[in-house]
Amino acid sequence: MKGFKRLLVVLGIAGAIGALARLRGKGEVAQTSGGWRELEGPDFR
Amino acid sequence: MTTALVVGVGAVGTRAARQLIDTPGISRVLLADRDIAQLREVAEILGPDAQAIDFLPGDPLPTDVGVVATALPAGLDHDVVAAAIGANVPVASSEDEHDAIDQLRALVPNAIAAGTTIVLGCGLAPGLSDVLARHAADMFDAIDEIRVARTGWAGPASVATVRHERRIAARTWHDGGWREEHPHGDNLVWFPEPIGARDCRPVTAGTALLVDAFPTVPRLSVQLGEPPRRTRFRRRFGDEGEWGACRVEVWGRRSGTFDTVVYGVVERTAVAAGTVLAVVAARLAGALEPLVSNPGIHGLAALTEPVPLLSELAQRGVRAAAFEGVSIA
Repeated sequence: MKGFKRLLVVLGIAGAIGALARLRGKGEVAQTSGGWRELEGPDFR
Repeated sequence: MTTALVVGVGAVGTRAARQLIDTPGISRVLLADRDIAQLREVAEILGPDAQAIDFLPGDPLPTDVGVVATALPAGLDHDVVAAAIGANVPVASSEDEHDAIDQLRALVPNAIAAGTTIVLGCGLAPGLSDVLARHAADMFDAIDEIRVARTGWAGPASVATVRHERRIAARTWHDGGWREEHPHGDNLVWFPEPIGARDCRPVTAGTALLVDAFPTVPRLSVQLGEPPRRTRFRRRFGDEGEWGACRVEVWGRRSGTFDTVVYGVVERTAVAAGTVLAVVAARLAGALEPLVSNPGIHGLAALTEPVPLLSELAQRGVRAAAFEGVSIA
């Protein structure tokens, strides 16, 4: 029973740390700057 | 007026048949599929200009066929293409699996000897992506690299091909030679909205068709996104299908400076693939101008002028876009 409680505590702490890291994470995806424009005109450029 | 034979009436073949029926120069569309119930249902939906026939890969072509469009699972095109070469009937094929493409390319001497034009990879990518690569490449004095990426799948057979391509080692064209790359994770690729960023992995797929078209370009690569697992449970015949996208980047030099051109397309994958397949078939048959005729086996980048094809596709609702801004290398 004591071991089970310890396991629950450890899992809880790990979950809290994981959630915090996910919320505060700075691993952003590199963004492109710009936009898409439909090809048009006689040359479709 | 020409009779077209569409072999395979799944997600892509059905759309191709519809587009062919709507093409003025095509008088009749014959449909063939091993699934008889689906074949009859599609023929009934498409109306009196469509006729279901008893034809399977390996059978001789019906005598009055002017062009064949195939939309079959990977590896089944070979017998149809061989029969078409024997009958000197041009073929547009949506085949996009690399082993099957290599097997078909082995028929080049037969096609040249017979004077028959065979076009492979008539889909979103390969297919429309090859046309866009040619269109972009024509702007450059020298090209350093062409990158093609696709996310999206037309039907269960398409999903199976994508999974297979992503699972095995990829062969990319690097510094003028083939290089094997074992799967080591995905790269983030930015497609036009609303698709946005998707994880994609280098695959072999239609790279050989790009090499045929751009033999002097040092680096050529193709990437595919991963289908979600739920796809196989969600798809039913008659669905509008999954949205897909392709992105084509061409890096090189023009006017003395390094530059890049990025093109993209967002469309329902089956609709885009079916439309490309139908337009190419119609041009092979002479039902649309300009006629495509160049005996041998080719991808679209090696065979067609981009602008007339892009124009015809745009009239049918499949439109490409250019990225304007700073692209990430």
